[in-house]
Amino acid sequence: MAITILPPVVEDLGPYQSDSDESMSDNSDSDIEMSGVSRSNKRARLGSKKAGKGIVTPGEVVTDDPQWMRERGRSRHFHKPFIDIYCSHCRRYRQKTNKLLSVHPLRARYTPEIGDLVVGRIVEVQSRRWKVDVAAPLLAQLPLSAINLPGGILRRRTSADELQIRTFFCEGDLVVAEVQSVHQDGAASLHTRSLKYGKLRNGIFLAVTGTGGSGANNSSVKGGVGSLAVPGNATGTGGVVRSRRQVWTLETHNGGGEVDVYLGVNGYIYIAKHADGAAATTSASENVAISRMEEMVSSSIYSSQNDEIPPQTRREIARLAQSIQVLVQGGVRVDEDTVRQAYEASQQVDLEVGDDDEDEHSEGREYLEGSKARRILELVVHGN
Amino acid sequence: MTAQRQASSAAQTPHLSAAELSYLYTSLSLPNNPIRPDGRSPTQFRPLAAECDILPGTNGSARIGFADGTQAIVGVKAEVEKTTLTADTLDARSLSLQSDLGPSGDGREGTEGSSAATGGHGSWVQMSIEIPGFRDDDALPVFLAEMMRESLVGSVGGKDGDGIERGMAGGLKGRLVINKRWHWRLYIDVLLLSQPLSYPLPLLSLTTHLALLSTKLPKLKSQGEEDPFFDDDWAVAEYLYPRASAGLKFNPSQQVRPPVTLLVISVGENVIFDPNREEIAVADAVLAISVTRDTESQGLKLLTIRTIDPPSRLTQPGVPNSENVNMLGATAPGESVAVLNPATGEEEIPGVWRPRRGGVKRSVIAGMVKTVLKKGGVGEEVLAGLEGVQVG
Repeated sequence: MAITILPPVVEDLGPYQSDSDESMSDNSDSDIEMSGVSRSNKRARLGSKKAGKGIVTPGEVVTDDPQWMRERGRSRHFHKPFIDIYCSHCRRYRQKTNKLLSVHPLRARYTPEIGDLVVGRIVEVQSRRWKVDVAAPLLAQLPLSAINLPGGILRRRTSADELQIRTFFCEGDLVVAEVQSVHQDGAASLHTRSLKYGKLRNGIFLAVTGTGGSGANNSSVKGGVGSLAVPGNATGTGGVVRSRRQVWTLETHNGGGEVDVYLGVNGYIYIAKHADGAAATTSASENVAISRMEEMVSSSIYSSQNDEIPPQTRREIARLAQSIQVLVQGGVRVDEDTVRQAYEASQQVDLEVGDDDEDEHSEGREYLEGSKARRILELVVHGN
Repeated sequence: MTAQRQASSAAQTPHLSAAELSYLYTSLSLPNNPIRPDGRSPTQFRPLAAECDILPGTNGSARIGFADGTQAIVGVKAEVEKTTLTADTLDARSLSLQSDLGPSGDGREGTEGSSAATGGHGSWVQMSIEIPGFRDDDALPVFLAEMMRESLVGSVGGKDGDGIERGMAGGLKGRLVINKRWHWRLYIDVLLLSQPLSYPLPLLSLTTHLALLSTKLPKLKSQGEEDPFFDDDWAVAEYLYPRASAGLKFNPSQQVRPPVTLLVISVGENVIFDPNREEIAVADAVLAISVTRDTESQGLKLLTIRTIDPPSRLTQPGVPNSENVNMLGATAPGESVAVLNPATGEEEIPGVWRPRRGGVKRSVIAGMVKTVLKKGGVGEEVLAGLEGVQVG
């Protein structure tokens, strides 16, 4: 069947069945489920000492009880200390840990922090810098002085470089970079002064929620909104979280070879064929002195020509991208572990399904949705 | 400027880098077995959620949500209107006279002579499309509305079968005729609820189809040329397009059905259905193909084909390594050898994106149409799927 038509899913707005309650219900004997439907009711309860978790809206008094502490870091949303706790911008989850109240946005854009590895797309070329979309409220800037120019470290930056700025990056190009500084207004300044960073090619791009939105950096708050949410599982709105490694190489199955995964903290993800840069360049020009090696590698950074990528690798890249989509739809955070697990699970699910219907071989069986996606999530979350 | 580009082109072109475009194009144009970025097979649609009769104030309504989060609502409202024979309709009458007495010459409109009053008129169906971010007189909504309206009023049912579909002679236009002096006027309001992530045509067309299927008109009590008088019991209202009922054995393929418009792209030699935004961005050709059930041959009938400006034309070409000033000395000479793209007949260096200059082979276009129309093909599956949506 080429087309699947599903009945509409009624979005249940009250899934905040708290199973993280045990950890923090020591001071409120009956934690109350906030329905969000009966507002007057909710208000009354919020005013009481039993502040459970629920959704609060901007301007709403979260509590006027002085026993609660505000969470640091997000405190700009709470203006009057200790007495009235207000929050602004958008609806948020509220969570409490002992006497600490914190409010997380349901959905927000990425807030850059120094040292974050981000994937961005060039949207504008200016005279000495690029403007980069990093899913933040403001465009980030990448100055010409913050990139490695080809030709080694000793190369002087000349006005010729400014004139041919588009030969490095032009509109639409994807870069992987690091946040070098964050300005007063929240705009980030990026740099690519390392061989790890630079232009991206040989793969596909996908955008999911990043850190800053979704409260995904806090693994205990959750209430799955996604239609795929596995029951009995503390899910949140999934997205990329800051983790130990944001870029790693995955050995794929089915003859796909090695694939690089770039998980930008901002939620932009790039999956590409692993470029064994040094080997490729040396094979092109054998007689490169070891001292010039870096120079050779760095010069291929600005290439926009794809290498030859066999179909098997393309298939595995597509599968990996879908695995990540499944994770995000299921509200599971995206990091190295979960991506690996989801990828393995997708292989396993394929085998399971493949046993059932052999006649339907290859007809769209690489498309992971519906029951397959649910099975993958089960495998990832519960490990069985 | 961006708005203009959106209007003229098949999609809000996402800014994709040359390397991405090249990767996508090569994946999608792999002979016989394209690899789509989401792993679907070429003819597979993304799952969609559909429901009918959601708006109580309308004669028929539907909502469809695509997997990418785009949603559309369509409401169909009907109004009784006095038929006035303007110069325009008179003109149309003489036209339809000619065509009726033309090659087929069976004069199915009867001896009374065909006129707008009996044959219906295309202007009785009004369609308006609202897309967030667009004015209602922008090119895109107007073009889409006209494209859908044209296939809707253009789809004329076949000759009367065994009296089953008497009401649908002359297609939708004929169905709107009450008597010589009165007719129904249909207002079809299409509302796209989300930003158009990809070219919204298939979504809007499927939703309109579903809304029309669920449209009911009150039962007529008056007879002949009297002023129309309707039964006020909504339960006995009749479907605009007769539905299969439990008592009578309808063959669904014999019923007149509103047309659906499918968006089909070709990449290389491959034909791909339900393209997402990235796929449209690299397409060689984008076609909107409207089909409906053919009441005579029990198959599908092609109503219209429209070509849509493929956005890949506007993209920037990639720079091959051999011409890249930043790579001087790093590439061995003769590394990049241009090869001929069999689909477009242009010379290309593998791995480097070249915007399409337009033009695809006839065989590719024929292949696209054939995949839609063939028995058990995509068109039939889509129509059958929509038929299966619970109405009422």
